[in-house]
Amino acid sequence: MDFSLSDLQQMMQDSVSKFIQKDYDFETRQSLVNSDLGYSEDNWKLFSDLGWLGLPINAEYGGIGGNLIDTIFLQEELGKGLVVEPIFSTLMLGANLVQKHGSSEQKTTMLEDVISGKLKLALAHAEGPAAFDITQISTTARKEGDKYILNGHKSVVIGGASADKILICARTSGKVGDENGISIFIINPDQQGTSTRAYTTNDGMRAADIKFNQVILDATSLLGEADTAFNAVDQVLHEAIVALSAEAIGIMGVLIDKTAEYLRTRQQFGNAIGRFQVLQHRMADMFMETEQAKSMLYFAAIEMAENKTNAKRAAKMLKVKIGSATRFVGQQAVQLHGGMGVSDELDIGHYFKRLTSINTLLGSKDYHLNELIKIPAIRQ
Amino acid sequence: MKILVPVKRVVDFNVKVRVKADGTGVDIDNVKMSMNPFDEIAVEEAIRLKEAGSADEVIVVSVGVQQCQETLRTALAMGADRAILVKTDALVEPLAVAKILAKIAEEEGTNLVILGKQSIDDDCNQTGQMLAALIGRPQGTFASEVVVEDDKVTVIREVDGGLETISMSLPAIVTADLRLNEPRYASLPNIMKAKRKPLSEKMAEDYGVDLKPRHKIIAISEPVTREAGIKVADVTELVAKLKSVGAI
Repeated sequence: MDFSLSDLQQMMQDSVSKFIQKDYDFETRQSLVNSDLGYSEDNWKLFSDLGWLGLPINAEYGGIGGNLIDTIFLQEELGKGLVVEPIFSTLMLGANLVQKHGSSEQKTTMLEDVISGKLKLALAHAEGPAAFDITQISTTARKEGDKYILNGHKSVVIGGASADKILICARTSGKVGDENGISIFIINPDQQGTSTRAYTTNDGMRAADIKFNQVILDATSLLGEADTAFNAVDQVLHEAIVALSAEAIGIMGVLIDKTAEYLRTRQQFGNAIGRFQVLQHRMADMFMETEQAKSMLYFAAIEMAENKTNAKRAAKMLKVKIGSATRFVGQQAVQLHGGMGVSDELDIGHYFKRLTSINTLLGSKDYHLNELIKIPAIRQ
Repeated sequence: MKILVPVKRVVDFNVKVRVKADGTGVDIDNVKMSMNPFDEIAVEEAIRLKEAGSADEVIVVSVGVQQCQETLRTALAMGADRAILVKTDALVEPLAVAKILAKIAEEEGTNLVILGKQSIDDDCNQTGQMLAALIGRPQGTFASEVVVEDDKVTVIREVDGGLETISMSLPAIVTADLRLNEPRYASLPNIMKAKRKPLSEKMAEDYGVDLKPRHKIIAISEPVTREAGIKVADVTELVAKLKSVGAI
């Protein structure tokens, strides 16, 4: 198989990597994390000018029309800089869902605004007991005349604090466990009856818990058709696993490079500590874990992009592999750096924190492992 | 007005280069290659002049191996109009490159050639000056500002102890210094457009110039590792120490 990058992928990777090197060093990133907003609006405008916000959006809506494989190279580079701007929530979750489930008018207006940087989106799908499986949600939208009455609670809505519009998964019919009966509503964060508690997550990103108490919504708030959103959301969440895993691959690559450099520099017992075989073994194991995870990422990305029969199974397998690889690589990087590996001043601990968050987002390793046991592979 | 910008493919400035075990050169196998940073500044300046209406066309040219076309595509993605790749697998020195550039400048009828002041691999800082001599036109080296008006170009040069402003009649040669501008990032739409922009390929031999190297590299070695310093208590001890090592 030919794994060489296309011209577009290569040049995009160069462009993003140059941005991270020149304008997004660790101190800059930390100052953004500690700012009121939690990210930079100037950067957001730059991302729009550079066309990054249009990458996964179809050309008919003014985007670049890149597929999932193209987006993993963007995500990988963003991971290397621990970028805090809400690209993942806006593009990989929000815009992707609009593209898959929105009416043609919604696609035209909303996606155009996403590309131009005017509209940031967030997807509120997770609830306490339903972190990934949206058939288990208990948020409801009851139809009354031509209105919907929304009640419920969403937790850890990534990018929920900065989003201009939030896409809410709610049950409009059926019972818990049914795939049919899931709908998506587009709401403004300040909609009456909505209360938002925004906070900084462990990895420096922003999220929000949102409660809905008798929120009255027009039928125009509905994204696409009622009751039929399950397939689109499920597909978006599995594609998001691939995108998020690409970010983890970028982070693990940085941790390996930085740790190897440190082992070549740090002197102990008259030698650079990298000369000790026991530490070389650890570095080799970190490298192997990352390479295996990378192979799994490419496999899942190709399966998902080509919509193969076992594509979602591949995405779940990827999440499991990312779960074990990131934990191993992150812990080793911290240990090999010694105490300063967890200090706030050094970036190593921050990379580890982001990896830890990635593991809990979109279903943990254990959750997906359990799902894999339940779903047998389909022979093709 | 046509602007010609030569660009060189070099080892990326972030890569820590290592000397080959046999000392014959720098190991560039599996090493990330990029456009020479000073050339990137030159490309940016040419594009800005075009955007300001001072130029009609920006042509980028690279002399080297087939992979140099990636560097040319990057320049096209930044906003250059077309590219010329002059292929050769041989080691080309600044004089050979300057001779090829002189032929291209003549063929294309370019009014202004903007080069990076030097490449970060060989650090020669010769090509621009040699080109100016070969075509017999004025040169404004180490530019930190370039203004084109009618048939004149004004260049502010970074010289020892300050800035020097010179005015030259076109056609002219300008070499870009670090502070001339901040090069833009290539946007995705422009990267897509760059794929459709014309890139013509020629062989170095087609220009009928003598490319033979004038130098022979005898050896390449790593710089001497800096040794740990010592701390002195006061100026008297510092002076005594400097005297003892013969520094003063």
